[in-house]
Amino acid sequence: MHPQTPQPRFTSSSHPPEQRNVRKKRRCPFTALGIKHIDYKDIATLSKFITERGKILPRRITGVSATHQKRLALAIKHARHMALLPFVAEF
Amino acid sequence: MAEKKQHLYEGMFIISAKLSDDARQKAMDRVSKAITDRDGEILKIHDRGRSRLAYEIKKQREGHYYIVYFNAPPSSINELWREYELHEDLIRFMTLRTAAVMEKIEFKPIDVQH
Repeated sequence: MHPQTPQPRFTSSSHPPEQRNVRKKRRCPFTALGIKHIDYKDIATLSKFITERGKILPRRITGVSATHQKRLALAIKHARHMALLPFVAEF
Repeated sequence: MAEKKQHLYEGMFIISAKLSDDARQKAMDRVSKAITDRDGEILKIHDRGRSRLAYEIKKQREGHYYIVYFNAPPSSINELWREYELHEDLIRFMTLRTAAVMEKIEFKPIDVQH
């Protein structure tokens, strides 16, 4: 094969057609549960959307909808102000 | 004339954990008095107890958390802020508009996979 030709991730020879590019569709966890208000006091939930360093996870990783990501970010920032969550977590 | 406009607020207050129970109660009374003095009305106070702070504030690593629900005229919030800034035993506070009084501070755990 020519070196510049992009290699397809799944070739028809290696995978049967029904397994090709199978990717589970992510759904926004807040939309799915019908949660409208994200509370800054709910540390257990907020902790699932931050890294172990304390950074807010991008929604491309968590699948949170744009509306909820905004509310989530605000809730995390409120929680940080009240020292419920760290700005920078130490290991 | 209609009654003065009031909104429901939720305030979270962190009182220094170094204080004795009496002194802490006094500090909290000062917080609530500031609200009632400005035509506010306290609806509920949750004592959340001592808790470790996520980071050091005013050289302290622990604080006593309170959540207060109150009705107050919007113009009083700015005054309250100035009053609380002068309160030495109050190490952190925040007031937010809220829709309803939470009778219990509990949350359903949500299942997230990512």
